Amino acid sequence: MNQQQMEQYVSGRMSGEEARAFEDYCVANPEFARQVEFEQRLKAGIAQVARGNTAEFVRSQNPMRWSLAAAAGIVFVLFAGFFIYNLVPRAAPVIMAAVTPDTRNDGTPLRLALIRGNENTPELPKGLVRVAIAGLFDTGFQYSIALDRLDPKRNIDTVATLYGQHPASPVTLEVLVDSDQLEPGIYSLRVRKQAPSEEALDFEFLKH
Amino acid sequence: MDFVPGGELSRRIREGDVSAESELIRQFEPGLRVLLRRRTGGDFGLLQDLVQETLLVVIQRLRGAGIEDPAKLAAFAAQTARNLAIASLRKTERQRTDVDSEATDRNADPSRGVEEIAADVESALAVRALLRELPQPRDRLMLKRFYLDDHDKEVICQELDLTEAAFNQALSRARKRFRQILEERGFSKRDLLNLGL
Repeated sequence: MNQQQMEQYVSGRMSGEEARAFEDYCVANPEFARQVEFEQRLKAGIAQVARGNTAEFVRSQNPMRWSLAAAAGIVFVLFAGFFIYNLVPRAAPVIMAAVTPDTRNDGTPLRLALIRGNENTPELPKGLVRVAIAGLFDTGFQYSIALDRLDPKRNIDTVATLYGQHPASPVTLEVLVDSDQLEPGIYSLRVRKQAPSEEALDFEFLKH
Repeated sequence: MDFVPGGELSRRIREGDVSAESELIRQFEPGLRVLLRRRTGGDFGLLQDLVQETLLVVIQRLRGAGIEDPAKLAAFAAQTARNLAIASLRKTERQRTDVDSEATDRNADPSRGVEEIAADVESALAVRALLRELPQPRDRLMLKRFYLDDHDKEVICQELDLTEAAFNQALSRARKRFRQILEERGFSKRDLLNLGL
């Protein structure tokens, strides 16, 4: 077994038979298995960090640059005073968040499911809404959830995205949505298994 | 650690050698964790339980009837783990008799255990520390593309203007450092507070 096979296994790109042979090899080779487990934990840790947002992966974190920026910021604030206060960008409100053990019972529940022949689009209640997406989910994988706004021409504007979401169960994937942060319109939650060649599922709802 | 062949371990366990049982646990546990991590969806408590249960089943079998081909002991242990994981999933599904009920969804989902959360936090903290240390924004983006977006190496190399050798080198460094950070486990209270999970 080699590094490439390890990457294929961890990313779920192996066929069932290959994966079983790989697992048998891991059980017989503890040192190799430890390497695989670190790879699994690295992937899981990255998904965990990216649950809120992915800015951490793209922003510059050079300490020297931060120090210079901080010093420049202080000088800037001293000179600009009150006017600067009004210009400081506020933190963007959180529109969509992962359900954690602390928030497991928060919000008004809304259940979204793909029901054949159903022409009624569910309505999003006001306030914080705990959306339970019903479907068949693989608990061994993580899912990304994108909240898209659909205009009358069905153009898509992605409002927020969450990565690395674990299904609450094999039949439910949950997410919190702050309805008050959304403009009225038609929205869709696009759910995609974070694995190669996986098609997304779209769950539409209406915000009044 | 020297690897003891399955046939040899089987014979010693059958003969009542307790040290052979300890060797079996040391040898098989890492691989069983890999296999079961994939099947337990981040539930660290369940992962631990299934690893223990698998080892118990294998040892009891070796103490008693033994297995057909002792040379294939690792494969037998792996298959036992798979069977137990499937049985566990079925049990969970049986407990969710009314999946359409809001109340069931609210109440039947087991909260994640403290151990599981601790494991998640540990990996996430190590990733945070790793990201802080990476000097090039391109390296951080590379990790995101590879592990989070599951893009192919070739695509990432093209997108970030990297040679495959440079990609592999950066990935190897990141893996090595991640492992070091996890093994050192030098997280401060501030790190825990800043994690905000």
